[in-house]
Amino acid sequence: MDELTSVFIQEGREQLQAMEDGLLQLEQQPDNHDNINSIFRAAHTVKGASGVIECHFIEAFTHKAENVLDRLRNGEIQVSSELTGLLLRCCDHLGRLMDVLEAGQAEPPAEVSAAGNTLLEELSAYMVTPEPSAGGMVEAESEVETSGGGVVNTDSWHISVRFGPHMLRGGMDPLSFLRYLTSLGEILALETIPDALPAADEMDPEACYLGFEIRLQTRATKADIERVFDFCRDDCELRILPPNSKLTEYLKLIQELPEDEMRLGEMLVRCGALTQHELDDGLSSQQSGTSDEPTSPIGEILIEQKVVQKEVVEAAASKQTRVQEKKAVEARSIRVQADKLDQLIDLVGELVIAGASANLLAQRSGQGELVESTSILSRLVENIRDAALQLRMVQIGETFTRFNRVVRDVSKELGKEIDLVISGAETELDKSVVEKIGDPLMHLVRNSMDHGIEAGDAREAAGKSRRGRVELNAYHDSGSIVIEVVDDGRGLPRDKILQKAIDKGLVQPTQTLTDQEIINLIWEPGFSTVEQVTNLSGRGVGMDVVRRNIQSLRGSCEVSSVEGQGCTFTIRLPLTLAIIDGFLVGVGKASYVIPLDMVIECIELNGQSNDRNFLNLRGEVLPFVRLREMFEIEDEYPARENIVVVQFAGQKAGIVVDQLHGEFQTVIKPLSGIFRHLRGIGGSTILGTGEVSLILDVQSLVQRNNRREERDMNSSLAAPRQGA
Amino acid sequence: MKTIFLVDDSATILLSISNILGKAGYATEKAASGEEAMKKFNAGVKVDLLITDLNMPGMNGIELIKQVRKLPAYKFMPILFLTTESQQSKKMEAKAAGASGWIVKPATADELLNTIKLVLR
Repeated sequence: MDELTSVFIQEGREQLQAMEDGLLQLEQQPDNHDNINSIFRAAHTVKGASGVIECHFIEAFTHKAENVLDRLRNGEIQVSSELTGLLLRCCDHLGRLMDVLEAGQAEPPAEVSAAGNTLLEELSAYMVTPEPSAGGMVEAESEVETSGGGVVNTDSWHISVRFGPHMLRGGMDPLSFLRYLTSLGEILALETIPDALPAADEMDPEACYLGFEIRLQTRATKADIERVFDFCRDDCELRILPPNSKLTEYLKLIQELPEDEMRLGEMLVRCGALTQHELDDGLSSQQSGTSDEPTSPIGEILIEQKVVQKEVVEAAASKQTRVQEKKAVEARSIRVQADKLDQLIDLVGELVIAGASANLLAQRSGQGELVESTSILSRLVENIRDAALQLRMVQIGETFTRFNRVVRDVSKELGKEIDLVISGAETELDKSVVEKIGDPLMHLVRNSMDHGIEAGDAREAAGKSRRGRVELNAYHDSGSIVIEVVDDGRGLPRDKILQKAIDKGLVQPTQTLTDQEIINLIWEPGFSTVEQVTNLSGRGVGMDVVRRNIQSLRGSCEVSSVEGQGCTFTIRLPLTLAIIDGFLVGVGKASYVIPLDMVIECIELNGQSNDRNFLNLRGEVLPFVRLREMFEIEDEYPARENIVVVQFAGQKAGIVVDQLHGEFQTVIKPLSGIFRHLRGIGGSTILGTGEVSLILDVQSLVQRNNRREERDMNSSLAAPRQGA
Repeated sequence: MKTIFLVDDSATILLSISNILGKAGYATEKAASGEEAMKKFNAGVKVDLLITDLNMPGMNGIELIKQVRKLPAYKFMPILFLTTESQQSKKMEAKAAGASGWIVKPATADELLNTIKLVLR
């Protein structure tokens, strides 16, 4: 694909998004002119740009949509939900056409064009057949043939032009026209008419007073010649006579032009348009001819008046819309290719590692000045790191606003009334996370609408407002981003879930589970409670896929629910995927990194609770995991061990290590595919010494530990019973 | 070499026109908004012709033309605007604001270059 097309596709998609956003707003605020204007402008830009890249199937379709939008803009048609629905579908169709273009196909496949034609038919209901445009031109041309008289035999065109006084101030130069005419043919003769030139003291040096009589030999058509004067047609007197025009045409010209008749006649003779004989003949026969002539000038005046009127009206109308147009301040931004940013982040990552190594060497050397300068350096590196990561941050708002459309369409489809409430749209997170969070969010939102929100009648019966409500919230919470999908529907049915889980063999009928444990069963693979598979959710993509998608972003998800009042899905994501602040710990000779955001405190583990893997932390039970046991490290035990207390999503746990090395800027190097199944390790990093250190996945470590603890408890409880 | 100043909020159009102009031996100066263009004009950018879109968010083309005409250095500079068949009424307004002429989108390279040749000194 060439550069131009790819620029167009990118731009076109942005414009379509703008159109869609505007259309969704339109339903709420049908009178918002700014909005209608910006929708129109978006369509207009797409049309213009598609014309430029000569993608005619997009251009043609957009043109029709633009016409309807134009009528909407002019208040000729009213906003209705059918119309916005239709226009939204047109946006979708344009999106598909962009796909076609992007795929490099010359024409859209049959089914796409068929869909387009259906839309065009629907659009045509909002259009009127345009009246044939301004008859003025046609009349003016046919007029040439109207009057009789002898033919003047020349093989050249005659052009009379008197430029308007504003010509120069409009940036035009009379000479440009003359020069341009020579590109059409040959100027056989040219007479300058300076008659309008006033005396020197009255002359405005910025005004143009000149006129020309030109004899031009060319193969060009009248339209071609007229086109040359297109730009000054409105404020200049222009007469074009084709070769072999009738004498009366010349006479009419002489009469109508402002100069003295005799003088002009001489000019024509001088430039060779007429012979003296023809002129004399004409002027003498004119006396008798004048009586039947005056009709045509009046006709022309009328036409002129009509033109003026039309223009005045139109100018006034467009001025009105212009006043209403708010001066939207567009965010100033530079477009950068994503992989360039990635490259920058990679480099910054290397810089961080190299900086750590320099720092380490400086400290070992024991030279105070060197240590000082490297520490300044590493502080700067840290700033650069933050600034570079900030570059990749985008607001989640764009992802959220997509759901306006989804909620609107789906609620129509389901026959439910549902409002979407968005908060925290300005919350920023890493672009790569934003890109991947769309699908899981889509699933959760659809799930809430399909299973969560009840039908209107059922809601009223339950004493709730008829309109359901789905919320999308985003906010920062201790180094991570939290996204919530909240609905005020019926909540998760605890008993149904339990029954289903038993049927599927996920739990044993004898097991007693807490409410939260039951609710969490929905995350298990192959779980779905709705018997009737609807068109929305239940396409075989279960909640486990949602969870897996989120986990692949190093995030986690939880659900909480109150029966009858609604449920809340909480997604927790790391701020960035590239570089984090870590806490470096050592076990034996190996070192590990714990994400610093999760570390709460460090305490010494004294001899107590050696048999049990939990301890009493100021009255709280703190389960802990021994890294030494977990990773089967066989070095000698140190004199004393430490516990790093971590917290994840409200749950505290301890990690037992040998040494605490402290804070460490950690550049995350993802583990390759073969380590995918490793639990408890989230990635690796390189230390200043060049050694590799593993980054702990605190969440899975803690969960794993909890499960083992439970198992041990169960077996130790079961064991005495067996013995008895 | 003549320099032509292009102002359009559409990156596609900016790129395509500057490609055409570049091949025809013109230098180009570009801006994506009226505001950006005014900044360059106020700084005294040396150009021989301005081609601007009319329909732009923020400062629109007509406003831009009015502002440019107020600057003495650009009082007589040719100004062309980009328009479409559907915008006849805008032509008058733009002309009144001080534009020299227009280019109807989508224009072929020849149409574009011919029009430029017509107005360029």
